[in-house]
Amino acid sequence: MSTVLLDGTEQLINGLMYGCFYALIGGGFTLLFGVLRRFNLAYGSTIMAGAYAGLIPVYLFNAPVLVLFVTTIVVSVLVGLLVEFCCFRFLRKGHELAPLMTTIGMLIVIDETIVYLTDAVGFKYPAPFGDESLALGPFLIRPDYLAILVVSVVSFSAIFYLLYRTRFGRAMRAVAERPDAAQILGVSVRHVNVLTFVLTSALAGIIGFFAAVSVGSARPEMAAWLTGKGLVVMVLGGLGSFPGAIVGGLALGVLEFEAVWFLGSSYRDILAFAILFLVLIVRPGGLLGTRTA
Amino acid sequence: MRRSLICGAAGLLAAFLLWPGWAVAFEGEGTVRIGGMWPLSGPASFFGKAAFGLASLAVDEINEAGGLVVGGKRVKLALYSQDEACVAEQGLAVVKRLATVDKVLFSLGPGCSSVAEPVFGTLQKKLDDRSDTGLQLLFFTDIATKFGLAKLSPWAFRNTPDEPGMYDFVVKYLKEKHPDFKTVMVSYESDFAHSAATWNIALKPALERHKHHQVVEVVDWRWLDNEFGAQVTRLRKANADIYFSLTHTPSTCPSLRELKRQRVRPKIVVGITSLAGTEVLQQCPDVAEGVIAPSNFAPITPRAKQVADKAWERYKADSNIHSVPAYENVHLMKGLIEKAGIKNTEESLLSDRRKVRDLLATVGTFQGVVGKITMRPEDDPVKPRDVDKDLLLVQIRSAKWDIFWVPDHLKQN
Repeated sequence: MSTVLLDGTEQLINGLMYGCFYALIGGGFTLLFGVLRRFNLAYGSTIMAGAYAGLIPVYLFNAPVLVLFVTTIVVSVLVGLLVEFCCFRFLRKGHELAPLMTTIGMLIVIDETIVYLTDAVGFKYPAPFGDESLALGPFLIRPDYLAILVVSVVSFSAIFYLLYRTRFGRAMRAVAERPDAAQILGVSVRHVNVLTFVLTSALAGIIGFFAAVSVGSARPEMAAWLTGKGLVVMVLGGLGSFPGAIVGGLALGVLEFEAVWFLGSSYRDILAFAILFLVLIVRPGGLLGTRTA
Repeated sequence: MRRSLICGAAGLLAAFLLWPGWAVAFEGEGTVRIGGMWPLSGPASFFGKAAFGLASLAVDEINEAGGLVVGGKRVKLALYSQDEACVAEQGLAVVKRLATVDKVLFSLGPGCSSVAEPVFGTLQKKLDDRSDTGLQLLFFTDIATKFGLAKLSPWAFRNTPDEPGMYDFVVKYLKEKHPDFKTVMVSYESDFAHSAATWNIALKPALERHKHHQVVEVVDWRWLDNEFGAQVTRLRKANADIYFSLTHTPSTCPSLRELKRQRVRPKIVVGITSLAGTEVLQQCPDVAEGVIAPSNFAPITPRAKQVADKAWERYKADSNIHSVPAYENVHLMKGLIEKAGIKNTEESLLSDRRKVRDLLATVGTFQGVVGKITMRPEDDPVKPRDVDKDLLLVQIRSAKWDIFWVPDHLKQN
C-alpha cells in the first residue's frame, strides 16, 4: 500500500472512531430537539458539569473509575433536570425561540459557576484505558477511542430499541410528531419531556466521561467546544433525525482528521464548515433530514 | 404600592449616585492607586491569578512596612485589579476603566500578548506629541511575553522573559552538549500569539543562526484543541532527536500524552517558557517528566524560596516565570513613586504618570527576586524598555520542577 493511502486509511480509522464521539454529542442534541422542537444550548454545560462532578469522589475518596463514571452520569442527569425546570418547563407554547435565550443563560451560569469553583483550572482525569495505543498492522489505535466506538454502538442500539420497541419510545415519537394529538390520546407531554431530559442527560454523562478521558482532564472550555460540535453534527445530519446525527458525526470526524493530515490544522474548521455550507445548499434539511426541515 | 416602590427605588438610586463618597478624590484616601489587568477568568486565569497574588503580596509587604512616603505624607498602596480574560475586546474595555474610572497611577499586566498588543496600541505613540490623543497610562507588564510589544508605545515597559535570547541559549547549549542530536521537530499553537511568536521570532531564527540542527517537522494546533492524533502521527514519522513543544499547558498535556500513546520518544523535550509553573505538574506530571523549560525564576535562592512560600501561604499563588515579575515590579515602582515627586491628586494624575514613567525609563539595573535585572534604555534599537535577566533551565523530575542549569554566579547562592 502506498504511504499516502496508508496515512489516509489511518486517519480514516481514527476519524471514524472519533466521529462516534461526535455522533454521541449530536445524538443528544438531536433527541432533545426531535422531541421538544427546541434547542437546548446548555447541553454542553450539562456534559461539562457531569465531567467535573465525576472527579469529586476520585479526589476525595480515591474512588475507582466506575464510581467516577456513575457519578458523571448521575450529576449530568440532575443538571439536565435543572435545565428542564429552569429553561423549558414554564415557557409558554408558541415561543420557540425563548429557550435559546434561557439555555444560553443557563450555559453561562453553569460555566461561570464551574470557573468560579475551580479557578478555571483543568483537573487531571484518570486514564482507565491506558496510555499505550494498540498496534493493528501498520496502524496505531487509541484504546479510549476503541472504547468510545463500543460505547457508541451500545448507546445507539439502546436508544433505537427504546425509540422503536418500547411504549415510552412510542410516546416520545408521538410527542415529537403531534404533541397536541398525543396529549388528547392520553400521553403526558410533560412526563415525556422530563424523561427525554433524563435520557439525554444520561447520554451527556457518558459523553462527559469520554470527553475528559480522551483529553486527560476536565476543562472549563469543554462546554463551548461540545456545543459547537453538537450543533454542527445536528444540522449536518438533519435537524431532529437521530440516524442523521450518527451519519453527521461520523462524516465530521473523518473530515476533520483527513483535513488536519493532508491540509494542516488551520483547514480543519474551514473545510468542516465549507462542507456544512454545501450540504445545507444542496440538502437544506441536512444529510438525512427531510427537505422541508 | 407599585408607584411608591418605583419612587423608592429611584430615590435610592439618586442617593447612591449623589453620595459624596463617589466624589471623594483619591488623594483623600491616603492611598496611591495602582492597577493590574490580568486574565482572572477563562483558560489563562492560572497565570493571571498567580500574577495578581504576587502583586498583592508585594502591596501587602509595602503596606505592612508602613507604606510609602508621597509629598511628605505616609500613604498606602491600593491595588485595583481588572479581568481581561485573555480577550482583546475585554482588555480594551478594562484599560479605559483603569485609566479613567479607577484612575490608577500605573498598571501591571496585561497577561496575554493577544490583549497587550491592542491595549498598547491605544497608548500614546510619541511622548509630548499634542496631536497624539493616545492614552497616557504607564504599563509595567509582567506576563505578556511576545517579542517586541514594548516597542508599540513609550508608555509600555516590560519585565518579561527575553525569549529570543533564551532559545538562542537553549539551541547553543544543545549544540554543545549534544552535538549528535541533530534533528528537530516543533509544535506550536497557531492561535496563541505568544506560542506562534516563540516559534517564528525566537526559536526558528536561533536554529538558523547556529546552523547545526535540521528541522524535520513543524506541526501546529490551537491552544484549546482536544485532538492531536494527526499532528502527533506527523511527529512520529519525523522521529527527531529533539522536540520543541512551544505550547501552553492546556494543549501540552494532551499532546504529550498522545506522543506517549504513539510511542514517540524524542531524546530531549524542550517546552515553552510559560510551562515552568505548577499547572503542568497538576495536570500531567507523568507524561511531562523530563521536559526542560527555559525560565527566569526557580526557588533557588533564600529570597526566592521565601517569596514563593509566602505567596502560596497567603494567596495560593504560584510563583513562576510570569508571576514573580509582578512582585518585582511593585517593589521597584514603590521606590520610584517616592522619588518621582508626584502630588497624588486627581488633577495631577497625568503629570504624575509622566513623572513616574520618565523615572522608570532611567532605572538601569535593579534587584529582582533571583538576581539582577537590567532595564534596556528607550533608545535601544532591539528591545527598548524591555529587561535582561538571568536565564535558568528547569526540568520536571519526579513531578517537580528542578534545576537543570543555572549560571555560575547563581550557583554560589
